[in-house]
Amino acid sequence: MKLAAHYNRASIIISVSVLMISGIIYYLVINHIARQQLDSDLVEELEEVVAYVSLNHHLPKPVDFDEDVTTFVKTGRTNFNTVFFDTPYHNPKEIKSEEGRAIAGLVKANGQNYIVTIVESRENTEYLIQIITGVTLILTAILLSVLIVTNRLVLSGLWRPFYSIVEQVKWFNVADKHKVEPVEARADEFKDLSDAIVKMSSRVSGEYQGLKAFTENASHEMMTPLAIITSKLDMLIQDETLNPEQFNQISDIYSAASRLSRLNQSLMLLMKIDNNLLKDAEKVSVRTVILEKAQQFNEMMQNKNIELEYKLDDLEVTASKYLIDVLIGNLFSNAIRHNKNPGKIKITLLGNKLTFKNTGDALELDRETIFERFYKGRTSEGSGLGLAIMKNICTLYNCEIAYTLTEGMHCFSISFNQPLI
Amino acid sequence: MKLLLIEDEPALSETIEKYFTGDGGLCEVCTNVSSAIEKISLYEYDCILLDIGLPDGDGFAVMEYLQSSGKNECVLIISARNSLDDKIKGLNLGADDYITKPFHLAELKARLMAIFRRKAFGSSNVLNYDQISVDLLGRTVHVNDKPTILTKKEYDMLLYFIANKGRVVSKNAIAEHLWGDEMDMIDSFDFIYTHIKNLRKKLFELSGKDFFATIYGVGYKFS
Repeated sequence: MKLAAHYNRASIIISVSVLMISGIIYYLVINHIARQQLDSDLVEELEEVVAYVSLNHHLPKPVDFDEDVTTFVKTGRTNFNTVFFDTPYHNPKEIKSEEGRAIAGLVKANGQNYIVTIVESRENTEYLIQIITGVTLILTAILLSVLIVTNRLVLSGLWRPFYSIVEQVKWFNVADKHKVEPVEARADEFKDLSDAIVKMSSRVSGEYQGLKAFTENASHEMMTPLAIITSKLDMLIQDETLNPEQFNQISDIYSAASRLSRLNQSLMLLMKIDNNLLKDAEKVSVRTVILEKAQQFNEMMQNKNIELEYKLDDLEVTASKYLIDVLIGNLFSNAIRHNKNPGKIKITLLGNKLTFKNTGDALELDRETIFERFYKGRTSEGSGLGLAIMKNICTLYNCEIAYTLTEGMHCFSISFNQPLI
Repeated sequence: MKLLLIEDEPALSETIEKYFTGDGGLCEVCTNVSSAIEKISLYEYDCILLDIGLPDGDGFAVMEYLQSSGKNECVLIISARNSLDDKIKGLNLGADDYITKPFHLAELKARLMAIFRRKAFGSSNVLNYDQISVDLLGRTVHVNDKPTILTKKEYDMLLYFIANKGRVVSKNAIAEHLWGDEMDMIDSFDFIYTHIKNLRKKLFELSGKDFFATIYGVGYKFS
């Protein structure tokens, strides 16, 4: 539920209950005041009756007291306290019974004591109360609807900056050059929020750029020492006085140095792909690249007695030729490296779907982790970056890459999306 | 061949200098842009080996100087950056080739010889070594005036070894030269062995001479 709805609900519940309680209190107070008014009227009437009797020395006729019903009852009691009570009021004209208020008091006429009871209709006060209640209810309804409407209008206006901030945060990408823009807001809280997010995002971007630059520089800085190691080794083997054991050790150092430099190059390539630095997009025929690579890898396939089968449609994609080369090269090199001797590789390019199938270890690879950096099979001799590079190239060009094990063959398939940019 | 090496890393420049002066070549070293420009303006060189990252500016300044002063030296750029932009910029400024660190000295030599030959001999480009003569345009090889058919890899290898004659060349350097990025295959050394065996045999059949010496497990020497 939205914050505005929460707020609306709370404010409506509170205002309705406050209005109800105040309505009840209002009703009781009005009722009380009306009754007191009625009672003082009745007292006045009684006094009038007493005055009339003491002046005229006989009881008044009932008609003398317009709407009120006055009754006299003889009594032998000499003292009687004046009392008020509720009683039905019989309207003599309309012949119906209404709510009424009565007063009973003692009056003396011609030496005889009477209890006089005056009943007055409460219809007027009831009517008044009804009107007051009605007006209160109407006011409540108006108040509520005004409240709801203003809440909705004001709140949605007030919250607009918030939604625009949320939208920007949702699309925020740390690798992107696009910055979070500050949002104009009337409410200070949202201004603060916007400022904080703008600051945070620029700090995050800055730190990311710094980290990126650091990684890049670190990779580059490693190249010169590596060049020194390699060239010193190249010089060292010119010395013919070295013995075979020493040559063996040099050979191992060579291998380690070239592994390190390949690893470094792979990392830099990954970084370039991640940051989309290879923008030399052109039309590339995937079929041609596959045929070229098949030629290049021919020797290695022959060496492992790998039979290559392919069925290729023509497919042109717009992408960096270099990256497509790397992609296809990695597919080949994986398919050869993890193959059996003798083995098979089947390549199909149908429509926009490229599939590389190869025989090999019957165990299925973990689909979730194989594309992660430095994932390596138990027997893999590679850097552990080949599949990560493939995955990143595919991500860069919005292609899907998937791995399955079907009919005992490891199968990597790529669905190229057109246009690739 | 007179060579100018512009490189600020003493350990690297010392080794390159030693490798290149071995067979009668001349190699001078300087470590920054200003001294490089000074040397180029005073002397003639056949080739310039230029590191892009120098302490007093980038090596492109040297390229710009060469271009503006109409000098025609071959230039091979050495860079720690495997960046396409740098490569394109360098080649646009008149560099003949671009090599990325780390590299093998044999590779550097072979590349340098290739650009030097292209510039020095123009179109009639025949390379002679002992009884072997290589027609670089027709990509044909004659031994003792008799033609021999080499595969592409054998031909590449022959040129590579002629450029590094008298030097021990490591298997790693050969593998990287022949297969480049794809060489991270453990068995590429076996291929080298096969190719060398075939090349050796073809040359031996026509010349009666074994040009190759195996240096333990580490590499080969051509002489």
